[in-house]
Amino acid sequence: MASADRISAIKSSLRVIPNFPKPGIMFQDITTLLLDPKVFKDTVDLFVERYKNENISVVAGIEARGFLFGPSIALAIGAKFVPLRKPKKLPGEVISEKYILEYGSDCLEMHLGAVKSGDRALIVDDLIATGGTVCAAMNLLERAGAEVVECACVIEVPKLKGRERLKSCGVPLYALVES
Amino acid sequence: MNSLKIFLNSDVVILNSQRSFSSGNFVNPLKLPSPSFPTKYHSISASTPPLTTTAAAAAASSHMAGPTSDDDRISRITSAIRVIPDFPKPGILFQDITTLLLDPVAFKDTIDLFVERYKDKDISVVAGVEARGFIFGPPIALAIGAKFVPMRKPNKLPGPVISEEYSLEYGTDKIEMHVGAVQTGDRALVIDDLIATGGTLCAAINLLERVGAQVVECACVIELPELKGRDRLGDKPLFVLVS
Repeated sequence: MASADRISAIKSSLRVIPNFPKPGIMFQDITTLLLDPKVFKDTVDLFVERYKNENISVVAGIEARGFLFGPSIALAIGAKFVPLRKPKKLPGEVISEKYILEYGSDCLEMHLGAVKSGDRALIVDDLIATGGTVCAAMNLLERAGAEVVECACVIEVPKLKGRERLKSCGVPLYALVES
Repeated sequence: MNSLKIFLNSDVVILNSQRSFSSGNFVNPLKLPSPSFPTKYHSISASTPPLTTTAAAAAASSHMAGPTSDDDRISRITSAIRVIPDFPKPGILFQDITTLLLDPVAFKDTIDLFVERYKDKDISVVAGVEARGFIFGPPIALAIGAKFVPMRKPNKLPGPVISEEYSLEYGTDKIEMHVGAVQTGDRALVIDDLIATGGTLCAAINLLERVGAQVVECACVIELPELKGRDRLGDKPLFVLVS
């Protein structure tokens, strides 16, 4: 099936929930995509087709919605899957990267030793907004010696300029749909 | 939890010391020696009729043929799981599946073992419990053509939800599912990485049954038999790979 047709169906499967998690935000809900097996398969296939010949050795998924897409991509391209998590979820030794939010800050963690020099990494999340979380993910992977090849998301919110923020860190963005 | 004290031996002391991962060999240094892992948790008794509720028991009893035997796949999966002592609190031996995810063959075998079991069972819904159920559930759902429904902690799912409260050792917790995701007549599988006391899985089963789905089975990578989760599930079957 042509990419344009698949992407059109993917976009139609998303639903928008107004004023979640707070007033003024139009939340892009991917759970309705997951309820359509054909559309969910097409989503994963589009990423797999793009990356299967790129020698990707690591797929890093950002908790928790990155976990919905990352593992299937990793399995299909023969890469390891590395979860990037909120603080104190990963047992054992971790490295942490702090990042700034609109108000305050947050932190992303990765297991020590999961990724090493020479690894070629893909970052996966359901959506990119300002790009703050993805930049933190990129820093974790680069600190461990990996080369971050690209960031892959189902949805991009262009007005929040995540693409530009990633570009300034040297990481391209691939997104299936724009909101 | 007196039964867990059998693991507080010199092996655990070694695990607590600092190790260097510079060689990139992430899996081996922290795991317990693999032959001790399945036998300390569960002995497959030859005198008990096999219920085929663990893949290890099924493999032992039925000599399944195939390119890689079930025994070999289970063995590799078991070896890939690492145990972290005293996480999240002292006395708990945490079963860490992240090392399994770093072994593409073992991770694929894990998914394949579930898919082989469920692909001809007309499963229409795979429900995965946040967050580690999100890692195993979607690949299974995709392979068997089922929809995937995330079961989440409160206030994560946008839009209308139904909630189920469940007991913890101290206090209660809640999981939520989207209204309309599952309908009467849906045949459901519940997935999580591990079953301990079974509290979370029971809550997940209740959510699915409240909307009219039939819960066919619960499936986990790991079971901790001493915590009797299987009993707590009552008449709902449980299938695990490592026990």
